[in-house]
Amino acid sequence: MEDYIRVGFVGNPNCGKTTLFNAFTGAKLKVANWPGVTVEKKEGETEYKGTKIKLIDLPGIYSLTSYSIEEKVSRKCIMEDDVDVIVNIVDASSLERNLYLTTQLLELGKPLILALNMMDIVEERGMEIDLHRLPELLGGIPVVPVSARKRTGLDVLMHAVVHHYDEGPTGHLVDYGPEIEEKIEKLRIILKAEYPEIRNSRWHAIKLLEYDDEVTEQYPLNADEIIDRNYEKEIINKKYDFIEEVLEDTLFKKDEKEQSTDRIDSILTHRIFGIPIFLTIMALVFFLTFTVGDMLKGVFEIALAGFSQTVYGFLTGAGAAAWMVSLIVDGIIAGVGGILTFLPNIFILFLALAVLEDSGYMARVAYVMDGIMGKAGLSGKAFLPMVLGFGCTVPAIMATRTLESRKERVKAILITPFMSCSAKLPIYVLFADMFFEQQAMIVAYSLYVAGLLSGILVALAVNKLDRKREQRSLLIELPEYKAPNARTISIYVWEKTKEYLVKAGTTIFIASIIIWFILNFNMDGMTADISTSIGASLGRLLEPVLKPAGLGMWQIGVALISGLSAKEVVVSSFAVLFGIGNVNSGAGMVELATALQSNGFGALNAYSLMIFALFYTPCIATIATIRKETGSFRVTAYMVIFQLVFAWIAAVVVYQGGMLFGF
Amino acid sequence: MTLLDGKAGESYKVKELMTDEDVMRRLEVLGINEDTNVKILNRKRNGSMIIKVRGSRLAIGRNIAACIEVREGE
Repeated sequence: MEDYIRVGFVGNPNCGKTTLFNAFTGAKLKVANWPGVTVEKKEGETEYKGTKIKLIDLPGIYSLTSYSIEEKVSRKCIMEDDVDVIVNIVDASSLERNLYLTTQLLELGKPLILALNMMDIVEERGMEIDLHRLPELLGGIPVVPVSARKRTGLDVLMHAVVHHYDEGPTGHLVDYGPEIEEKIEKLRIILKAEYPEIRNSRWHAIKLLEYDDEVTEQYPLNADEIIDRNYEKEIINKKYDFIEEVLEDTLFKKDEKEQSTDRIDSILTHRIFGIPIFLTIMALVFFLTFTVGDMLKGVFEIALAGFSQTVYGFLTGAGAAAWMVSLIVDGIIAGVGGILTFLPNIFILFLALAVLEDSGYMARVAYVMDGIMGKAGLSGKAFLPMVLGFGCTVPAIMATRTLESRKERVKAILITPFMSCSAKLPIYVLFADMFFEQQAMIVAYSLYVAGLLSGILVALAVNKLDRKREQRSLLIELPEYKAPNARTISIYVWEKTKEYLVKAGTTIFIASIIIWFILNFNMDGMTADISTSIGASLGRLLEPVLKPAGLGMWQIGVALISGLSAKEVVVSSFAVLFGIGNVNSGAGMVELATALQSNGFGALNAYSLMIFALFYTPCIATIATIRKETGSFRVTAYMVIFQLVFAWIAAVVVYQGGMLFGF
Repeated sequence: MTLLDGKAGESYKVKELMTDEDVMRRLEVLGINEDTNVKILNRKRNGSMIIKVRGSRLAIGRNIAACIEVREGE
């Protein structure tokens, strides 16, 4: 497989690497308009005129240092000869800052191609880049204008890759001045003698002068008199001086007129209205999720009822055994089908989140919430995983990688599962609709707010208890606002919808079968009376614990345990437990509500159940992600236990408090 | 004065960064160096602000604003 050319996509966060990667490989990786969407390296393949090319998409970085996780991932990949050619994607509308990384990549001496993305914004602003002069000033590397979104310039870029994959930049581009240059030369001589395998001694010498941890450790030298202090500051400054010179020659008509992004920002990030605007936007998202989702739901219900009838008719007609009919109709169709009817709500939720993420507003939320998060010892950036948590907790937890310190990460990981993820949505829709009718939407919104507030309060409490409190400060780049892109949105929404369907076909499918099984069998074999089933016995064990929370029914115990596989399973379990064909239909809800009410389960119990479902131990996929991201089984176990205890206390307080006030 | 004392809409020139190495490097890498022009676009009462540096927008917290020593720009 050596006939591949391996190409690494390197560039600042949010400059369009993944969009370009998707364009070349046909992959459907998530793209959005905020820095830090990609946190893992991804590989794909493409071809240009018979040459096979392997593309590597890397997390965005501002520098080739190794402070953050993303920097380490990207740097490791570039350094360890995993790539033949580096394609440095730069946001042409922010060339000055973007070229800083380029100056570092130039020093590496590897074949490098500059892809100028977002040229349309440059033109819009009335700016011009001299595309002939720029490559000359950058050591003769190819410079290719592309548009990742409009998919233009792609062939030219690959042409450059195929024809320049063995040519690096020529000459020393950045001159660090006599003092540092002399040190570099001295170090190069020593490096060459001690480590002849080093191909680029200049880069290594510069890194040694910057006190770079990795290089210093890997190539220890006895050169303390040369490396007498850290020269990083001077080196960075000289690089920016170099960039200023380059841009003076190549970038024209810099206009300083107020840009539309600044005008939008003066409203959306307003010092007083910022937070109310954010809450209103979120309220709008949930309003759409509930109303539009419910409007579309009817179609699904009719289809499901018809399907269920047909299958029932077919199975009985074909003379299938009674247990078989029961398993398929009462177990699988009721469980999986019940979940599928929530698809419209899920679809609308992700559509709204996709628009929010692609507009450029997400990064602003970090700024808007910075004050409140600061009180909890978190930077506003830690709020991003929380907002992502409204979609799915798994990617939200992975997004905490962009936070700087481990302490901040662990805290963010602890509270992110408190957000109302899309899997909790069916629980709210069902129970709020059943027990709160007119107020259903307000009740559901109250749970979203409760999750958000509790998350912040828990972080606040943890911060108060922390003796070695660190001052966390916000630092995040704010992208240009832009109209959401149809392709980006459709990839995002389709991937999420597909995930939901796959989950329905796998986790929920299996969970429904297991639930059906434990409800229809006991130690003596199959039973017609589910109150004597294995499931009932298991659920009864939990009854005394859940009773103070108003959840003392064995069925609820079973539903909550099964919900650990995925939170939607709480709903599908109720469907199977109470033998309801289509739990999300009007008739199904009446049936379930009646069955619950006959057990003394009313509105207050329903609210307590929703509170418990909101807070308790997240699904297995989330727990596995927490384990992976914290790297500690112990931390994960503490978190899981904490969430369980928190959920129980919250539900008990709600239920007992509600009783006290006579609800 | 530090950037924290600055007003929205005004431009300043960076004199010095006074913070620990880690944060300082991050800021320098982002182009906040000696003599760089910084414009405050927007600020909140708690001290967090949106600034424009070398053509890009950054949101920074109070602590960071407080460690960027500046002088009035031209």
